[in-house]
Amino acid sequence: MAAKTKSRTRHYAMVIDTNRCVGCWTCAVACKEVNNEPLGYWWNRVLTTAPNQSTSAKPPASPNIDVPYGVYPNLELAYLPVACQQCNDAPCVKVCPVQATFRRDDGMVLIDYNRCIGCRYCMAACPYGVRVFNWGGHEYAPGGTVGYGKDYYVDGRLVFTPYRPKGIVEKCTFCVERVDVGEKPFCVESCPLGARVFGDLDDPDSEVSKLVNEGGAEQLQSDLGTDPNVYYLPVARRVPGES
Amino acid sequence: MAKFSRRAFIGGSTAVVGGLVVADHLRFFEPLSKLAPEGSNDLLGDRENGLLTGNETVYRTGHSNNCDGACGHLVHVVDGRVTMIGPAAFGGTTISGAPAPTFHPRICLRGLSQISNTYNPDRVKYPYKRVGPRGSGKWQRISWEEATSLIASKFQEVQAKYGKTSVWIAPYTGSLAFIEGVVGAGFRFASVIGASAGDSEGDNEGDSATPAGWNYLLVDPTLPANAGGFFTGHESVDFMNAKTIVFWANNVAETSIPDWRIMCDARDEKGTRLISIDPRFTVTSAQSDQWLPIRPGADAALVDGIINYVIGHKLYDTGYVRKYTVGPYLIDPRTKRWLRANEVIAGAKDDYVVYDESDGQIKAAGDPSLKTPAILGSYRVAGLRARTAFQALADMASKYTPEYTEKLTDVPAAQIVSLAKVWGTSKPLAVRVGFGLSHWYRGDLSMQALVTLQAITGNIGVHGGGVTTFAGGMTTTAFDFTGFWSPTGKLYTLLEPMDFCDAVEHDKPFPVRAAWFMIDNFAQQMSDRNRVVAAMKKLDFIVVSDYVLSATADIADVVLPACTYLEKTDLLSSNNFYLQYMPKIIDPLFESKSDLDAIRLVAEKMGVGKYFDQSPDEYLRQIMQLGQPDESPLLKGLTWERLTSEAVHLNTEPTPYVPFFNKQFPTRSGKIEFYVEMLLPYDQELCDFKEPIEAWPTNPLHKKYPLVFLSTHTRFRTHSQFVNLPWLKEINYGGQGFLEINPKDARPRRIDEGDVVRIFNDRGQMKVRARLTESMKPGVVNCYQGGWDTIRVKNYIEGHPNNLTHQIANPAQSVIPNFPSNAAYYDVLVEVEKA
Repeated sequence: MAAKTKSRTRHYAMVIDTNRCVGCWTCAVACKEVNNEPLGYWWNRVLTTAPNQSTSAKPPASPNIDVPYGVYPNLELAYLPVACQQCNDAPCVKVCPVQATFRRDDGMVLIDYNRCIGCRYCMAACPYGVRVFNWGGHEYAPGGTVGYGKDYYVDGRLVFTPYRPKGIVEKCTFCVERVDVGEKPFCVESCPLGARVFGDLDDPDSEVSKLVNEGGAEQLQSDLGTDPNVYYLPVARRVPGES
Repeated sequence: MAKFSRRAFIGGSTAVVGGLVVADHLRFFEPLSKLAPEGSNDLLGDRENGLLTGNETVYRTGHSNNCDGACGHLVHVVDGRVTMIGPAAFGGTTISGAPAPTFHPRICLRGLSQISNTYNPDRVKYPYKRVGPRGSGKWQRISWEEATSLIASKFQEVQAKYGKTSVWIAPYTGSLAFIEGVVGAGFRFASVIGASAGDSEGDNEGDSATPAGWNYLLVDPTLPANAGGFFTGHESVDFMNAKTIVFWANNVAETSIPDWRIMCDARDEKGTRLISIDPRFTVTSAQSDQWLPIRPGADAALVDGIINYVIGHKLYDTGYVRKYTVGPYLIDPRTKRWLRANEVIAGAKDDYVVYDESDGQIKAAGDPSLKTPAILGSYRVAGLRARTAFQALADMASKYTPEYTEKLTDVPAAQIVSLAKVWGTSKPLAVRVGFGLSHWYRGDLSMQALVTLQAITGNIGVHGGGVTTFAGGMTTTAFDFTGFWSPTGKLYTLLEPMDFCDAVEHDKPFPVRAAWFMIDNFAQQMSDRNRVVAAMKKLDFIVVSDYVLSATADIADVVLPACTYLEKTDLLSSNNFYLQYMPKIIDPLFESKSDLDAIRLVAEKMGVGKYFDQSPDEYLRQIMQLGQPDESPLLKGLTWERLTSEAVHLNTEPTPYVPFFNKQFPTRSGKIEFYVEMLLPYDQELCDFKEPIEAWPTNPLHKKYPLVFLSTHTRFRTHSQFVNLPWLKEINYGGQGFLEINPKDARPRRIDEGDVVRIFNDRGQMKVRARLTESMKPGVVNCYQGGWDTIRVKNYIEGHPNNLTHQIANPAQSVIPNFPSNAAYYDVLVEVEKA
């Protein structure tokens, strides 16, 4: 199962089309299913936002889902799904005192669950707030273990296990166990809008390459210099918010 | 590890019920966390045990739970337990091998969450009988043998005393599958025991008004081939062919999420313009290129405004009106009926009458010398001045100037004009109508108006056009449902859900004293709920088959544990034209049984078991008439092997399917009848706007109850299904309902965000917390329906939206026997105050 170290020539990236996102949370539920996330834990969340707002640029109209910005009938509303941004220059990697968080050559930022000591420096360092701390004592949705359900190792490091131990930090893995066997991340496969594209940035003919290089895809809070491998296509309504 | 968690809840459950004791509440309905010792659900101490190491098998099935999305599911099973559900591919070809348009794998948050529906500790696990007063929640576990003997003897007793039809079987739309759903085995059971049954269209959910309006123009219900009316629409991928798509009272992006992808594909790949018409700023409105905020209930007025502009500015399709509609036919000014040729033209046969522009002669429509029938104008015929139907439409619509239409609809005149211009110039134009439009007393009229507008602009029977609510997988012609329902040749007696209360309370049209509800939460989802529950409590005997203890099961005498879609065999064909075989993937959990098996046990005890002794596969073969002489061309060439190995597209003509593509309309005239003679008694022969029955400013009741009350659908549920699933509750405020209200309405009532409010009218009340949001039109409030109000689960602080709705029926719809009036769920006024 454990892939031996060899030179990987791929550079994985994901593009999320916010012009298509309807805030349905299917990606988040898919993430919860494939990764057996306990109740109360979401590696992937969907924020209600104004169109084309970075997560921290504008306070929400309301903490509630679907509540639009503006005054009736001059309104606008968009959604922003946020999980680990898989940064090339990841602050979480830099601050980890035990090198539990690491970046694989192909761009995937992973956590060695055997190594993490739960100091949560990475959570403080992450500007996207996408890492979750495992407090233990979880409840799960009924039905037993769901999703991938097995341990998965990369270069001998445990980067996925269906029941993460108490006291560690966990997050989106880009579905490394699926990608390594040629499948797409489960959120990409499940998105009912076809709003998520996954592929190899090093392949100039890949859809992600085209969207990133020519399609106007943007990184979240790109001014921070973290250089994420998750990109967002902007909301582009023809007659935006017209009443 | 499957071992661990299953042991936890099965073991816990058995321990509680093992003694067959009378419980004052059902502990086994409680969440796992309360059954298991503190912390025992934390599997970390035994982590290796949680790994899925067994052999995995993957099955393909369809998700039938009534949202009409008809998603395909890939279901992963490890050691006999479902561990993962994902989207499944569709075949890509028709049965006969022709290419079908790209249809992407589809799934949504509800389908992904189905595992916790099937394995939910809240499931009804065993048969129970009531031991306390009705509705007290006191139950005793009984055997299937005892339960089915009791049902059989009670049904026989009631039938002997009050007549065969006094037993009402109510299998409704909680599932869209064949054997256990909207067209299911419950109807067969009703037929063979001579009982009454609801109709297979599930009208109690408010679905029949727009189908009726569609039939008015496009289908003559009295023609035998039409069997009382039918309803279909454009295959969802056909929206890719539209230049403009109008979402009329249709929040597709929230309620039919995978269908929204098709609209996005059309927009992004073809430049299709998306327009939303809705009183609420919905997700669909937000995503559309344009949103027209309309006064609720004013839909037909807006359409009439567009019709007036389109006719006045000659933006209609002259050739289409002349050739495919009744536009040129002359109307008798005395009777308002069609002028008949044999009455006004010497020697002519019975026919419609037209004026030929080419020679100025009045002729029969079938006259071979007819060249150019006039579509506008009035003409002298036998001493009468007779208008064409299109002239009558133009005259009717003339009062709907942009300014007058603005007054009625609250849509600015400039926007009305701009929409009318789009309608007249951007073709093909498709309308997708939500059932929100059907939830009005005048929903039929709104649909009548939309089909009229689509007809005069040449948008009916063309790719990328039409007026679609859902596309008919339930094609009445492809499957022999009638044969399945009536194996003895005698069909059950129809009793509409809207007639249920009268049947119980006043024996009209006949007494009903016992009922069996399957896949149906009648006591909560039917409108004017207080009246419904009171009537239900008067019944001698109620059976409910369900996998959760619904509000309906709460007042039952016997509750039977039903299966979820993973535990039984069935077939799904809905919304798209793919047939999806649904194999039994896991054995029924606990003592649950499929409804077919439950019916078989009761039927055996009533002496009619032989009608239920075959397997689901055998019944499916019969319904499809595979390889039989009567097999529909839609199914020709289908083998059982292919059906059970992939999702295969019907042999539709054309593909994607478009109703009336050949422009043959099954009406009396063979044309689109936007002048509807059969509606003359209702003063509704043309789509002239009429005010809603309750929710309109001129209603005197509006002074007392000034807010229009909507109870729309949310992405987190399908009606009252999926309410109790933990993943969905986490993203939906723990499942708690709330009232959406504009700050402009909240402020004068001193209501702040999160305040508990009382919503009330003369029919009832409910309480929830307020959510202040600008998405609501001032004067309109909304509370998502479907949350539970059961003995154990209160998703609203008190009551349910259906405590406020009514059952005022629209008599006009009776002209379409298959689509009599539904309940007007949204045509409702309320007042709101801080509780």
